[in-house]
Amino acid sequence: MFAYDLRLALDSMKRHPGLSALMVLAIALGIAVCTVTFTIYHAMATNPIPHKSDQLYAVTLDTWSAERPYDDEKPDLAPQLLTYRDAMYLHGAKAAPRSVVMYKSGALIVPERTGVKPFNAELRVTSHEFFPMFDVPFQFGQGWDAAADEGPQPVVVLDHETNEKVFGGTNSIGQTIKLGKVEYRVVGVLKPWAPSPKFFDLNNGSFEDAEHAYVPYGWGKTLELPVYGNTNCWKPESGETYQDFLNSECVWLQLWAELPTAADRDKYQAFVDNYARSQKAQGRMQRPLNNRLYDVEQWLDRNEVVQRDNRVLIGIALMFLGVCLVNVVGLLLAKFLNAAPITGLRRALGASRRDIMRQHMTEVLLLGLAGGVLGLLLAIGGLAGIRAIYGSDFSRSSYERLTEIDPVVVIVTLALALLAGAIAGLYPSWRIGRTAPAVYLKTQ
Amino acid sequence: MDIKPIFSSLRRSPTGAVLVALQIALALAIVVNSLFIIVQRFEKVNRDPGMDVPNIFFVGWVPSGDKFQGEVTMREDLQILRSLPGVQAATVVNAVPLSGGGSSTAMFTEPNEKGRHGVMNYFQVDEQGLETFGTRLAEGRNFDATIVTMPPKNSSTSPSGILVTRDVAKELFPDESALGKTIYTGTSQPVTILGIIEHMHGSWPGWDKVGNVALFPVITDETYARYMVRARPGQRDAMMKMAEEALGKVDNGRVILRVRSLEYVAASSYAEDRAMALYLTVVIALLLGISALGIFGLAAFNVSTRTRQIGTRRAVGARRTDILQYFLAENWLITTVGVVLGCVLALLLGYWLSTTFELPRLKLYYLVIGVVGLWIVSLAAAFRPARRASMVSPAIATRTV
Repeated sequence: MFAYDLRLALDSMKRHPGLSALMVLAIALGIAVCTVTFTIYHAMATNPIPHKSDQLYAVTLDTWSAERPYDDEKPDLAPQLLTYRDAMYLHGAKAAPRSVVMYKSGALIVPERTGVKPFNAELRVTSHEFFPMFDVPFQFGQGWDAAADEGPQPVVVLDHETNEKVFGGTNSIGQTIKLGKVEYRVVGVLKPWAPSPKFFDLNNGSFEDAEHAYVPYGWGKTLELPVYGNTNCWKPESGETYQDFLNSECVWLQLWAELPTAADRDKYQAFVDNYARSQKAQGRMQRPLNNRLYDVEQWLDRNEVVQRDNRVLIGIALMFLGVCLVNVVGLLLAKFLNAAPITGLRRALGASRRDIMRQHMTEVLLLGLAGGVLGLLLAIGGLAGIRAIYGSDFSRSSYERLTEIDPVVVIVTLALALLAGAIAGLYPSWRIGRTAPAVYLKTQ
Repeated sequence: MDIKPIFSSLRRSPTGAVLVALQIALALAIVVNSLFIIVQRFEKVNRDPGMDVPNIFFVGWVPSGDKFQGEVTMREDLQILRSLPGVQAATVVNAVPLSGGGSSTAMFTEPNEKGRHGVMNYFQVDEQGLETFGTRLAEGRNFDATIVTMPPKNSSTSPSGILVTRDVAKELFPDESALGKTIYTGTSQPVTILGIIEHMHGSWPGWDKVGNVALFPVITDETYARYMVRARPGQRDAMMKMAEEALGKVDNGRVILRVRSLEYVAASSYAEDRAMALYLTVVIALLLGISALGIFGLAAFNVSTRTRQIGTRRAVGARRTDILQYFLAENWLITTVGVVLGCVLALLLGYWLSTTFELPRLKLYYLVIGVVGLWIVSLAAAFRPARRASMVSPAIATRTV
């Protein structure tokens, strides 16, 4: 039966090749535009650490001025970053099973291998919990312990690329490397690791690479390592020294807590609120109590990682697909009705309405499938085009990562194409199925 | 001409016409709103940055080793850069304009954070800063070398005099000239406004106060310092190479990391706006193309199925132009219904975009552009089938199929 339907469908398509091609093209374009848009959106909206994203919480405290909110446009939100003293206290109190305090910095690396130019490495200055908390995969060695943070001890973890560059990709554990003025001993080398979005630090762009090297948190203060992310201040404070900066109301540090259960979460929230109350009593934090814990998904949402433009484009792409579908419905209807005499003949010879409808739906789904495959090819071409224009040019790996087509998108695309075909074909097939055979037989 | 037959024919089989009208309506809604977004992005990207973008470049470096001596080393490097033949001016600077990274502060017309306040995105430069940016001073004078200082690291000491853009000046003194006025930092240090810059953009192209810029006569701390160089017209690329070579020959305790043009930085910052505009342009082109093909396909199909009918009309006295007019009028009627419906949809979509995404409200004249555009596209698409209809010979009517 299916084979017969298929043959009829192919015959019908061959009768009007131009019209059939036009329909395939219309579906293909609609699908291609949707696929390109969805791919980029999907990459932006991906959960970068799905298995524990609901256990990791970014901690925020509203330490801003009593006079005005941190963000005039969203007055109910606290700053994303913390002051040094608040971060140190909350981290040091060990109220969460695990927490990490950190910021992004940088230092010059002068490789000893010949032929490698000196380069400015991005550094993550972080407490030792970073690696286990974010499930960072090691190729060689491991992270450091609490003693190394406090020392601070001259130990470093390199990312895959930097180990490649400086040590030629060999097991460099125990080797030394000079970052800025200090010589560090390599204790760990990471496997290639680039969570996207870079949820744990969204300051310098949501889809940037992770840092080149990681050093114990204590080095930040000891070496007065510069802040590569944002430093935001509201309070006029005169200062002359680095210690003055550490004591100021400027926010610049990131604090994350790992809270496996709801009870942990509630306990930690109460702990943070109590701390804020005690600070209020001392005259700080004069805004209403507003200390939020965000899990990873909430954090990406709060930081608007999926850009407004991409949401607009999703809407426009869907409408575009709508236009293509209406287009196809019109063409199908005209085509089917034109072939009505043949249908009338088939009805007269005993084909039921359901047979007619099934036959026409087969043709439509075939068109949909062809449109889907062509659309997928167009989309792959389109994404390659976007990469070519924007990827290589601006040293941003972000476009590379955002334009990668993945199996989910392929499956969704083909399903969407069939669905689109089915929706477009339903009315014309139903309409032709209801044709009374007598009318057409008479005119012959 | 009589359009009654068109109505009665449409009433008998309205589905095809309704679908075409619907397609035109949807297309209009998308085209108009996309066009509106494209034009906004174009305007944003093509704003006058108020500086000599094509001729400016930056030299990134970091101190390395004991030979580095802060201001002395930086002055030495500037001397090297300024002595290059094709260099017009050079300065140390704390941030790259249009790059997305920079510093800002607020100052007040009265001490203790009282009075009016003005937000400014500041650049710390030396006496050649103004010339290096290539900006025009509208009032007052540039600062000279004597007031350029290098405060100790982490110090919150402010310079005694600064240059601000007209945007900042207006925020602080809306009704009078800001020139020569004293303003105060958050910690109540007095600062004199030495000059007013006509217009220039700062670090953040997406900020609604991108024109709120100030130049501070300060040699910035080496942590954030880089050199900004302005080449003579047309010599930028040659100077970029020469600068890297010349600085590389001298070992005074710093390592040159990279040399990059401001044009590159600006293009990178605006990449997303360009991508959005390009993407929507492609969507509009595809949409108009597919709509035109659809209308053409349907019209051609209708003509071919109505060949006998047309032949009959010709046989009973209709002229070729009558047939042509009939089909074009039919198309025009359907298109008009489509665009009227499309205007409503476009406004709804525009309203949704402006409320959900805080975009500006759709301007009405875009509707006019869209309506005229779609009329033309639709008529052009229907013209060939209509002409073919008019070519049908009256003899067809006498033949059996």
